[in-house]
This record gives sequence, structure tokens and C-alpha cells, in this order.
Amino acid sequence: MLGVPTATLRTWEERYGVVMPDRSPGGHRLYTRDHVEQLRFVLRSIEQGMQPADAHRLLKDRLGDHPDAKVAITGSETRLVIMLAERDPHAAELAEYFLRTEGYETIMALEAREAEAVFEERSPHLAVVDLLISGGAGPDLCRTFRERGALVLAISPLESRDEALEYGADAFLQKPLDPLQLVSTVKDLLGQSAFLRTEVLSS
Amino acid sequence: MSERVSSGSERLNDMLGGGLPANGINLIIGLPGSGKTILAQQYAFHNATRERPAIYLSTVSEPLEKILRYGQTLSFFDQRAIGSAVFYEDLGGTVNDQGLPGVLERVSGFLKERRPGMIVIDSFKALHPYARRDEDFRRFLHELAGRLSAFPVTSFWVGEYGHDEIAESAEFAVADSILSLSVDRVGGREFRVFQVLKLRGSDFLSGKHAYRISGDGVQFFPRLADPVDQEPYELDDARISSGITILDEMLGRGYWHGASTLVAGPSGSGKTLMGLHFIFEGARRGEPGVIATLQENAAQLERIVHGFGWTLDEEGVELMYRTPVDLYLDEWVHELLQTVEATGARRIVIDSLGDLKAVSTDDTRFREYVYSLLQRCSRQGVSVMMTQEVGELFGVTRLSEFGISHISDNVVLLQFLRGESRVKHGITVMKTRASAHDPQIREFEITGDGFVVGDHFAADQDLA
Repeated sequence: MLGVPTATLRTWEERYGVVMPDRSPGGHRLYTRDHVEQLRFVLRSIEQGMQPADAHRLLKDRLGDHPDAKVAITGSETRLVIMLAERDPHAAELAEYFLRTEGYETIMALEAREAEAVFEERSPHLAVVDLLISGGAGPDLCRTFRERGALVLAISPLESRDEALEYGADAFLQKPLDPLQLVSTVKDLLGQSAFLRTEVLSS
Repeated sequence: MSERVSSGSERLNDMLGGGLPANGINLIIGLPGSGKTILAQQYAFHNATRERPAIYLSTVSEPLEKILRYGQTLSFFDQRAIGSAVFYEDLGGTVNDQGLPGVLERVSGFLKERRPGMIVIDSFKALHPYARRDEDFRRFLHELAGRLSAFPVTSFWVGEYGHDEIAESAEFAVADSILSLSVDRVGGREFRVFQVLKLRGSDFLSGKHAYRISGDGVQFFPRLADPVDQEPYELDDARISSGITILDEMLGRGYWHGASTLVAGPSGSGKTLMGLHFIFEGARRGEPGVIATLQENAAQLERIVHGFGWTLDEEGVELMYRTPVDLYLDEWVHELLQTVEATGARRIVIDSLGDLKAVSTDDTRFREYVYSLLQRCSRQGVSVMMTQEVGELFGVTRLSEFGISHISDNVVLLQFLRGESRVKHGITVMKTRASAHDPQIREFEITGDGFVVGDHFAADQDLA
């Protein structure tokens, strides 16, 4: 189904227990339209770089939040894009997950050069920049992204609020990032450019 | 100061310089039965909230059922918090089926789903055999520490490690703090000992501290060690009465306010009675006092004081009797200081130093204890009298104490003397710091009114 081998579907079903097809009287798996939509969501998330476990977790999260599942898991085309320029893969993975659960599309870059390339290609609305990325290239990234019109949220394990604002960042958070704080800061920042949001959503 | 995580125990927080630094990885180590699981649960229940819950992960050492069964008997164990603020989960199945990579995946999952403020892994040491090679375990540690550091979560890794493993096991290098629960054996007695072996980014109270396990969890008694360079303080020039008029004269108008006095003498020479004079005189003058005794219980002491026309029920007299059996010096000192604070005591009698010394594991520490206690009392203007038994019945040639006369402000010697076919009582002021005193040996009697001090002995009195 949808190009996914049957064995993989079974493994997902057993391991994550999220997409659970009905059974025919003969014991065959019956996928409803909703199930197919849910699998599409999982596949799309995996395509965007998510682990299958996280894709299912995200799906479960969405289904839990929204009784009308179709609304929650479709329509990804109009989402705001956030880039994470973060040197620590674990921190990046967590931040990505928490932002995705809020409906943002996220792209990751673990090094400064990669971050610049990704920025060129995708023009994110907001960039989360670790000041210590690639041995301390964060300040330059902040200035560059800000000049090109993106919102910048600087992060660092060090208390560098004043420095971050000097580099042109719109906000600063100290690591490790508290998920609620991250999401609310991002929401606040994106809320400030309402025109951008309208523009994106209407396109 | 960085953000701190409270244990719920003020004394433990104090030993850790205010609490464990938040978002660190902490090892709690100790042999089975030392209270590791209880301490970890104390932290979990104290800090867990619905928004930032605590997750308690059992592995393959102790079944989750058992942890819960024993846990529920503890006073801090709040059943209503379970499932909302505190989550108990079993990692045993995961590690058995999927090995250490499975543990990493579950921990990551918990971070994302539950967004915990605290994660406990108990037992962490039991995960070792699941790594085929040492490198595999190091890789696992590195990965786990990486994930835990990327999230604002305080972790506890609990394990049955011995101190000899600290240099060998990689988790000790990864950990931000190491809290050790162990046992010291002295003769036939066992003392529970708590030590902070490592604490990144914070001062801590070094050395060995006593602890006990009770229905309220792990109770700590930090060793009394007042820092050397404290705020300056002023001693006033008030004198306080010993309760014995002629002794006050011998001392030059009584003891200094906030001074310490050692009363030494053989058994039956009247040391306890001198202490009672001191306390009851204080009570009469509106200076409350504590009788901290390890000798007579309330009934026994009441009979004694009754013989002198006093009663323990008198206002301003507080009895703190503790049996010397299974006594922890650290615990006793804390109770004494608490009693002093609660009663507003201005005077303390410690009867006797010998009993305290007997429960002490180390001579040097014992002197430090007494010194710290006297320093603390002096700062608070609390006057202390300590009794000390000497071995020789007649002709006292040395005070068989433990360097305490040296740190006491005053030393009074009570002795037996022979002459005229009877045993006489002699009292001598041996030392008064910052004051002149009458150095003569005076005779005294113990009557229904207590000490009655008479004249000094004649020149022909045998002093040997």
C-alpha cells in the first residue's frame, strides 16, 4: 500500500499501534480512507527526514488533539517554514519534533555552510540559530539571515542574550530548550509578522 | 547561581550548596538496602508537576511492582500524583528485547511525549551486561547523555556501585554529580554514611554525613562543620550566674555570656548537679535552658531534681534525653540545635561528653564537632556547660578528655579529697578565658539545697 511493503506496515502496526486497520471476518486487514490518509501523513513526515517512530508519535499527537483527523493531518503545503541551524543533532531532533507538533514545517542544518545553502533554497520564515554552530559561526548566520528578511531566534548553551541581540537576532533562548518556551517564542515571533503569515497561507 | 533542584530536604540541599544544579546527570550509588531508590523517589515526588512530570524507569534489577509496593509505604509517596505527575515505567522488557538501542529510543520517546522535568533510571548499573563490549556501553552512554543534555531534564542514574568502581566505570565521568550512600563499620556498630563525591558547578559540604531511613524517606544529618571565616560578631560583657553564689565569686562574677564551660570530675563528684544549678538558675532568671543528657531518662532525672526541690516541669527547662544506644552524633547535634531554636534556650548542659565520645567514630571529628557546636552557640549567645568524667577517684592528675578543655572557655574541676577520716568534695576553677579567677581549692557539700561551697582547704589538706 502506497508503496510501503506489507511487512513494514505490520511492523509499524505492532510497534507503534497508531494506524490500526479494521479486520474482515476472515482476518484480513481492511484500510479505510482515513487509514490511508494517516499512512500518507506518516510517509510525508518520513520523507521530510523524520524517524518512523517520531512520525507515528506525531500522528498520534495530532489524532489526539483533533477529533476530526482529516483536518489535522492534511494541508501541509501552506505551513510556515522554520530552519534549525543547530550543531547538536539531539537538540535539533527534539526542537524539530516540538515545532512539527505545532504544525510548522521544519528543515535542519547541522553546519553553517549547509545552513546558508538551505536558506538560499527554501527561504524560511524563521531561522533558529545556535550561536556556537561550526565553531562559532552563529553570529554571522544571524546577521545574514536577518538581512535577508527572516526572523532569527538565537540559541546557545551560554547566557548570550545581549550578544545575540547585537548580532541582529529577534530573540534569544538559552539551551537546553524548554519545549513550551521554544514554541511560544516562535509563535510570538511569527505572530509579529502577520502579513507574512497571510501571504503564505493565501498563496 | 544556576537553577537548583530541591530534594525536599533542606539539609541535603544545604550540603549540595543549595540543591543539585538543574538539568544535570546525577548518579546515586550505594549497596542494596542503602536507600538509593527511596532518595531518587524523594526527588521525583518533590519536583514532579503535571507540566513537567517525573518518569521513573525501572530496569532489570528490581521489578517495578516491588518499587511501587515499598514506595507506597513512604510518607512522600502521593498516589494521586501517579499517572499525572509521576510516571512509573518498566524498561526491563525493552532492554531484554531490544538491548541498549531500545533504551535510547524509549528515552527519546519519553522526552517528546511526556516532556519530563526529571528522569530516573533504576538500576542503571544493571544495563551494563547488555553491552557486548566496553566500547558499546561507552557509545550508549555518550548517546544517552547527549539526548538528556539536549532537553531541560534532571536525570538520576541509580546503581549498586562501590567506591572502587568510580575510577573504572565510564558513567562516573559523564555524571555531573555523584551522591553516595554507604555504611561505616566501627566495632560491632554500623553507621549509615552519605557523601557527595562529585558536584560540578557548585560547592558542597565535603566529608561523611550521617543519614537514616524512615517512613519519611532518607533523613540527613550533615556533619557540623562551620566555615572558618564567618561574619564577625560581638560578644557582650554580660556575666551569667552559675547558680552557685560562691562559685560565681570564684569565677569573678559568673561565666561570660555565651561562654563554654567544662566540668570535669570523677563519678559521683556532683557534675550533673552543677549542670542542674546552671539550668534552674537560668530558668529562674528567664533564660531558658536545655538539659541534653545521655545518662538519666526523664523519670530518673525527675527523681534527682526533686531531691533538690526542683521539677523538670518548670518553665524554661527543656529535657532532651537520648539513649546512647545506636546514637548518631550528627543526628544528636542537629536535634540539640533544633531544640535550642524551638525553645529559645540561652543555656545548654551536655551530660556527658564521654557518652558522646563513645558514639563518635573518629577522635578528630569529635573535637571538630564540639568546636563547631561551641562556636555556633557562642555566636548565638548561648552558654554551654559540658560534663566530663575523669578516671581517677582521688588525686586527679589529668583530665581524660579529648582536647575539649583546650577549646572550652572555662574549666571547673570537682574532686574527692581524703582527710580527717572522710571523703571531702573539692571544687577548683582551673581556667577562665578572658577573666581572672580564684585559683584556690574550696570545699563544698551536696545538701538538699544543692551545692554549698565553703572555705578553701587548709594548708595541711592532702591533695594527692
